[in-house]
Amino acid sequence: MKRLISTIKEWFVDTWHIADSVGRSKAVETTEYEAEELDHIFGLLVLGSYVGLPSPPMQISLDLMPLMEKELMLMMAKVDTAHQPISDLFSVFDIG
Amino acid sequence: MSMPGATNIFFMGKGGVGKSTSAALNSVFLAQKGFKALIVSLDPAHNQCDIFQKSFSDKPVQIAPNLSVIEIDQDYWIRRYLKDVQDQIKRTYSYLTAFNLEKYFKVIKYSPGLEEYALILAFKEIQQKFSHLDYLVFDMPPTALALKFFNLPTLSLVWIEQLLSLRQEIIKKRDIITKIKLIKKERERDKVLNKINEMKKDYEELKSIFEDPKKTNVKLVLNPDQLALAESLRILKELKDINVDLNQIINNKVQMNPVCVEINKAFAGYPMLNFPHSEIPLIGIETLSSFLELNAEAVEERLNAC
Repeated sequence: MKRLISTIKEWFVDTWHIADSVGRSKAVETTEYEAEELDHIFGLLVLGSYVGLPSPPMQISLDLMPLMEKELMLMMAKVDTAHQPISDLFSVFDIG
Repeated sequence: MSMPGATNIFFMGKGGVGKSTSAALNSVFLAQKGFKALIVSLDPAHNQCDIFQKSFSDKPVQIAPNLSVIEIDQDYWIRRYLKDVQDQIKRTYSYLTAFNLEKYFKVIKYSPGLEEYALILAFKEIQQKFSHLDYLVFDMPPTALALKFFNLPTLSLVWIEQLLSLRQEIIKKRDIITKIKLIKKERERDKVLNKINEMKKDYEELKSIFEDPKKTNVKLVLNPDQLALAESLRILKELKDINVDLNQIINNKVQMNPVCVEINKAFAGYPMLNFPHSEIPLIGIETLSSFLELNAEAVEERLNAC
């Protein structure tokens, strides 16, 4: 009997943890998207000279460039969805 | 950057007005007074070698007691800086080969924005290396590059402030995500933010050196002609915009003409040193010394005052 109660308790705890982490993930989905977009903006601002955008003095871009591997990769990944921005946005808000 | 002990004297002005000769005269004067001085030629078209009839390099060459000359090779500083960046990229980027960056960096070498930065890098090193001297006399390049040199810290700080606030916003959002998702892993310190803060500190320090009249002394050289006067007035305005004080006007090759009256009127509030036109070319340390002796009264009064 004790073992059954313990199993049921464990099941409830596990279910609660899963539900909690799903809920938390859902809650930060938009914030994560926003953070990623801000990363893109940051990358574009710093490395804008490569795509013809107004950019900071060259030495600022060059000084930051060695530390911006992640931003560069994000920007390259963004190229895939850049021609379909609305569908990208819809998937974030779980529409459709 | 350590706090410099030497006072920086910058000679600015339109091309051909006699900046290099005035810088040489001022340095010879200071050396004769017993001050330890170093002439630093930041003009890519170096003239000090013609004035002192010696060849100079990036190592100081003594030309008189208390006086040495150094020439800054702008291309060397650009190459050195780009090599540093390239090495850092090679160390940190794991997918370098996909970019063919080496080829790209060869093009960056000709980027217009790096000339003034090369001069700033050289300036920073000279400040540290020769802080034990009394005066560092900078023979500046013509107006456009010289103004970019003074403007670089201010302009860079405008961008850095923007990038800093954006980076802080990103970190704030990431912190929220970490908190809600209960990620226990300690957040790695943001290297980009650290670098931006480091750059901000550097530029603020440079800006404060340029704005401090005890550390920076700007002398504007001009000739009594309309074009030199017009450009000098533009320099004065640009320097005012970035809070750099003008300490002295050197009216070189003075002739009695209406422009001289205009110059006196336009720069009424500034100490003015009039150098007459020299009949013989001011070449060689003896000739420079004789010229200083001939104009001893004006030179003593004005150069001492600054």
